[in-house]
Amino acid sequence: MSTAGGIIKALNSGMKHLAVKRFTLRYPEQKLKFVGDGFQFNPETGVGIAGLRGRHILYHEHCTGCQLCAVACEGIAEAIGMVKVNESWKQNKKAIMPQIDYGKCVFCGLCVDACPFYALYMTNDYELSSFTKSALIYTPAQLAVKPKMSQDVEIKIDDRGASHG
Amino acid sequence: MTTPLPPGIELEKIDERIMTLNVGPQHPGSGHMRLIIKVDGDYIVSCDPDPGYVHRGEEKMAEYRNYIQNIPHLERPVIHDSSNILYPYCLAVEELLDIEVPERAKYVRVIASELNRCIYTLYWLAIYGIFLGHSTMFMWPAGDRELFIDLLEAMSGARVTHAFLVPGGVRNDLPANFEERCLRQVNYFEKRLKEYEAIFYQNPLLIARTAGTGILSRTDAIRLGTTGSVLRASGVDFDVRKKEPYDVYENLDFETVVMKEGDSYARSRVPYLEMFESCRIIKDALQKMPKSGSVRTKLKPNPKGGNDEVYRRVESGRGALGYYIVSNNRPEPYRVKISVGSFRNLICIPYLLKGEKLGNMPAVYWSLNYWPVEADR
Repeated sequence: MSTAGGIIKALNSGMKHLAVKRFTLRYPEQKLKFVGDGFQFNPETGVGIAGLRGRHILYHEHCTGCQLCAVACEGIAEAIGMVKVNESWKQNKKAIMPQIDYGKCVFCGLCVDACPFYALYMTNDYELSSFTKSALIYTPAQLAVKPKMSQDVEIKIDDRGASHG
Repeated sequence: MTTPLPPGIELEKIDERIMTLNVGPQHPGSGHMRLIIKVDGDYIVSCDPDPGYVHRGEEKMAEYRNYIQNIPHLERPVIHDSSNILYPYCLAVEELLDIEVPERAKYVRVIASELNRCIYTLYWLAIYGIFLGHSTMFMWPAGDRELFIDLLEAMSGARVTHAFLVPGGVRNDLPANFEERCLRQVNYFEKRLKEYEAIFYQNPLLIARTAGTGILSRTDAIRLGTTGSVLRASGVDFDVRKKEPYDVYENLDFETVVMKEGDSYARSRVPYLEMFESCRIIKDALQKMPKSGSVRTKLKPNPKGGNDEVYRRVESGRGALGYYIVSNNRPEPYRVKISVGSFRNLICIPYLLKGEKLGNMPAVYWSLNYWPVEADR
């Protein structure tokens, strides 16, 4: 009978997968490997450099306080606000730098595209959960810290199927 | 005693035979929309779809933002098909602002669009499987979708809402070794896709539930103005990529998938067969793509459109998706109208469900490739 034959065929194709590697990865212990150090942008050529769009990194020595990142964010998420910093830089007379609210940020990266002074980039850090809303607001000092990320798992494809390492 | 009603108000008379059922809007298999179904026993007498529960005002929002700031919010209606919903917007804005797109960017956009089409179709297939009670068909596409999500994440930096396509090209160049990785994963996926055939499409249980239900004839499909896989499953050979090729689709080698039956089975099978064509397009585009060169035309800081209006459309995962943009010499568009495939396919639900059994409702409804959030915009 064709109906019984079809059901047996369907079951058989599912049974084959009992011997296949598990596709999922054990998340807190294993982490996915991403391309590059994060999303960067070259204002001269107007083209970005591929990488994960995670939390930002702010280079205080390049930031001039021009507010272009905040202007870019205005119609999108309104996550960037300019705040006073207790630092004196030659290029930043007003001493204002961006502060980012990750409760609002959508990680589109258009603020990175807007920065003409190579000051704002994005990193591979995507683990930003916190217990309070106020802890999601990153001050310029917090944004200057480079996150430590351990990533080692990549999709592997062999004769037993695809798996995460 | 009942209080008399105020003058001019009449209560609906309840027929003892006909019962009204509200399916939705809390997503019990309808998406975030409501189907008002009238049943006579087990048979559906009439069906009235009631969309609008997830309206986001995207078109109005677009009038207050400039052409670049519109990018992240315009992809929100279909976050898992975000390249395809941005594609016509980019084409329209490029025409408005007279932007020339580099050759390599065109190929990268086609690759992103086809990868996203596969992501969308696999997501839809997973939901179609689980609503027919086939839980393996939920797990398999949801897992294989990860292959494409990883590729787009390497390309754009985001796993779901990419904001990758911009007027003038794409945001960034492809990473190193992308072509090799893409070929490896797409080749594996094609092998994997063939396994869906035995477990799902040749499965007698699926055929019994979908074949012959919700038949949409060729004439009706054209008359009702359906689009995408619904139109092609009814035997109409129409694909925007073939009929009005945009970017580099005319150089690429692929075929339109057409089925004649017009029932739920054909509508569920057409997107599956199109995934093979998508893989073919991706491999062809990787081969024909210029190996180096610019991927983005630099725009002026706050570009202004002239006094002009433009309509451009592309083939998305759910059918023709078009943007109509009117500009009036300002950095913001004067009016943005999004014409989506989901809303156009919604109209045939009353015709398809009339006379069907209530149990066939999920099989017919989900075969329409309908996405409520996109329809409401």
